[in-house]
This record gives sequence, structure tokens and C-alpha cells, in this order.
Amino acid sequence: MLDGLTFSVDEGEVFGYLGPNGSGKTTTMRVLLGLLSPTSGTATVLDADLSKDDEMRKRVGVLMENNGLYDRLTARENLEYYARLYDVSRPVDRVAELLDFVGLTDRGSDMFGNFSTGMKRKLGIARAILHEPEIVFLDEPTSGLDPEAQHMVRELILRLSHEGSMTVFLNSHNLDEVQRVCSRVAILHQGRIRALDSIQHLTSAGRKTGFSITLADPAQAGEAEGILSSLGGIGELTRNDNVLGMVLATTPAHEVIAALVKNGILLEEARIQKRSLEEIYLDVMRQAEGGVT
Amino acid sequence: MSRVMVVAGKEVRQLIKSRNVMLSAFIFVVVFGIFTGPAVLSGTGEPEQVMDTLGFYLVLTMGVFMGYLFTAQVFLREKQAGVIETLLCAPLSLRELWLGKVLGVTIPGALLTYFSAILIMNAGSVFTGYTLIPSLPVLFHIIVVVPAFIAAASGLMGFAQFILGMRENQILNFVIIFGIIFLISFTREVIGPAFSVTWAVVGAAFGLALLILLVTAFLTRFLSRERIVTTLPE
Repeated sequence: MLDGLTFSVDEGEVFGYLGPNGSGKTTTMRVLLGLLSPTSGTATVLDADLSKDDEMRKRVGVLMENNGLYDRLTARENLEYYARLYDVSRPVDRVAELLDFVGLTDRGSDMFGNFSTGMKRKLGIARAILHEPEIVFLDEPTSGLDPEAQHMVRELILRLSHEGSMTVFLNSHNLDEVQRVCSRVAILHQGRIRALDSIQHLTSAGRKTGFSITLADPAQAGEAEGILSSLGGIGELTRNDNVLGMVLATTPAHEVIAALVKNGILLEEARIQKRSLEEIYLDVMRQAEGGVT
Repeated sequence: MSRVMVVAGKEVRQLIKSRNVMLSAFIFVVVFGIFTGPAVLSGTGEPEQVMDTLGFYLVLTMGVFMGYLFTAQVFLREKQAGVIETLLCAPLSLRELWLGKVLGVTIPGALLTYFSAILIMNAGSVFTGYTLIPSLPVLFHIIVVVPAFIAAASGLMGFAQFILGMRENQILNFVIIFGIIFLISFTREVIGPAFSVTWAVVGAAFGLALLILLVTAFLTRFLSRERIVTTLPE
């Protein structure tokens, strides 16, 4: 069940739609694709309601959890079938081009049912983009794939966005994948969007900024700790051998570094620790469930 | 090529590649074609009249069975596998999709039924010692009316398979298969030895097939993507 969703996806961006199982990710996709009707409000893709406009579907590509392909047909026959349904000009050439794009040219005459899970997914992506849609919806594209196949699919998604200038709507609960390929995300929980922002902003604009300093000389650790303790605007100071960790509340990182250098402390490395998407996601989930963050 | 023909072509190709289904259909045709023909011809009545009766109801029953067998592959299997959801996102109306599938069932179904009719006639001729050629109304029935019934049966069953959930479809399949067995077993007794196949009978059968097909085609107006998606198996 979805509740009061409002969001838009910009042209050419890779938009991540995150959420746990059962949060409503696939339902949202179905509503956007015109397969389910919203009980209130509107859902438009490329300024059109897909439930009322069959021809608009030519401008949209879809990869659901199921690849939408037939076990008893060959890879080539499967793609040619969809190419003809979508009125692709020169379907045979386009299919050959796509088989090459996903690295399956030499498997084009093999039955789809004999493919590995990774190959099936790659062919599913080829099917979703064969009519050169302006936007492509991908539902858990790397689900069930081994790490190598996941990497290949992620590379494909990035190529679609960069080379094809395609807008990608990526449904996933694979946080690592989303962080790698998406520019903006929405986090869904029990049918409601709990966070919606760019990954850059979400990971760097947290309430607390983690900061760590590695000292060149471990013998200076005690002295450095004392200097930092005397500075205001620093919290949660920790020391582990020659590494000092802290949370910058109000003092900026460059002032911390300057204070240490001014006092003759030799630094090897200083690093702002951005929050990972996983941390943000878990925070959002805890907040949504009424827990303490 | 129209999208209807694209869908029909794919269904025919896929059915031909479904070895188990084609083997079941072929065995059914051969068994009933060769063995049922002579068995029924051993009954009462002139051989030509009995052959006409057989050509009317047995070939029709076989055609409907082919329709049933192939419809399950073409409509239900796609729904069970979840492939239908991707097709629903294609630039294809539900009526085009339905009609393409019905054609995809009717073409191989009719061809196999023609084959069964030839087997029945040949087996009957061999068994009786006469060269049995069906009357013109029966020929028309086999060539035109039976495919119309295959299309009607497939259209109606396919429509039901689109809108019903998997559990309801299992019940429906159960009812249909027993209905066909009933038809095969009792039609001969119900229609009686005095039954003869006339143009009026064939015309009425053709009208019934067209009526079923037209009513189902009309009902497809009420098909919705939402209904299909919400009855997909989890």
C-alpha cells in the first residue's frame, strides 16, 4: 500500500528507489507503468498516464523481476519478438547490436532457458532497451546474481546513463549498488517516502561529520589528544594507536588540522568520514519505525 | 506485420518448440484418430452416416481439446511465469494481445485437427472396406467450423485465464477437462443413431462458434491490466 507519494525524476538521471521487501517499490513501479491505478492522485511518466496511452509505452523500457523472456525461444528470437512489438526499425540489425552490447553475440542462437541467471538478466536488460526508450525502469536488476554478474549489470546501467543519456529508475534494496550508480535516491518505508535527496547530499550533510587523523609519530598521540580536547566543537574523541577519531560538531576540519600542525604534531593523513548510504538507510528505517538513531 | 500477427507468430513458434505439449497433442490425435474411428464404426447405421456423425462431433471434440491444451500453454503459462507483466508494458492493447494468442492457438490446433480428421477417415475406410468421404456439410464443418470452435474455446478459456487467479484457473481446468471427457464419452449416445449432419446443423454450429467468439471479443473490453497483474501468482 502506498501513501502520499510525491516525487519526480529528472531527465537523464539514475534514480534509486530504495526500501525493504514489501515497502511498495514494485507497486510504485506498477502504478507508474499504468499497471495499477492509484486510489487518488496521478502518476505520469514523460508527462503521460501510461494506463491510458498504449503508444507512449514505446518510449518506456521495463525490466521487472521476471526478465519477460521465453525459455523455449532463443535469445535472438526473444529480442526479435519484442523488437517487432515495439516497431523497431531494422529489428535484425538492432538485435545483433544489442547482443553485442551485452556480450551475448555468440549465444544468440541458444535457448533462453539454458542461460545462467546472470546471462538471463543481461538479456533482460537488452530487451528493456532495445527500442531505445527515453526512460527505463529496472526492478532489482542484480537480484540473485553473483558478484561478477552484479558488476557487469552495474556497468551496463552506467553505460545506459552516460552513453545513452537514458533516464533510469532503479528499484533496489542493494544499497551498495544504488550508491555506485545512482545520483539521487528515495527511501521508502511502508509505502511512504522517508528520505529523498541526492546521494552526495545525503552522505555529506548528516547531523554529524566523522573525522579521523592519522599521526606520523605514535608518540605524539597523547599530546595531540590533549590539543584536540582543548578545542571546542569536537565530540566523541577516540584514540587507537596513532589514529584519532572524532565528530566535528562546529569546528571545521581545517581548523583542527591547523591547531595540530601549529603545535608541531606531524600528520600522516586526515580524512572526513562520510556516512555511507547504508548508515543513512538504517537511520531512516529506525526513524520510520520510531526507534532511536 | 501487425502486432496481432507478431504475437500469433511467436505463440505458434513457441508451441512447436514445446515438445511435451506437441507430443501429448499428437498422441491424442493418433489414438483417437486410429482407434476411436473403427470402434465407433462398428456400431449401427450406414458407414457414411456414421462417418459423418464422427466427422461432426469427434473432430469437433478433438479441436476443442487442442484448443484447451494449447490455451493453457499460451495464456496460463505466461501468467504463471510472470512474463505477461512485461508484455502488459508493451505498446499493445489487451485485445490485440488476446487476439494474437487466440490465433496462435487456432492455427496449430486446426492443423492437428485436420490431421486427426484424415486419420479418422482413413482408419474408418480401412476398417469398413469402403472409401469413406465425408459429405459437403461435414467437410465444411471440419475445415471452417471446427477452427472457429477452437478459436471460440481458446478465446473464452484464455479470457477466463487472464482474469482469474491461479487457484480459480486450476478449478476451471478441472471442469473443462471433465467436460471434454464427457463430450467424448456421451455425445454419441445423446445425439442418437438417427442424427444426420445437415447444412442446418453445421450452420447452427458455426453460428454458435461465432457467437461465443464475438461475445468473448466484446468481453475483452472489460479486461484490464490491473486485473491481470493483481491475479498473478506471488
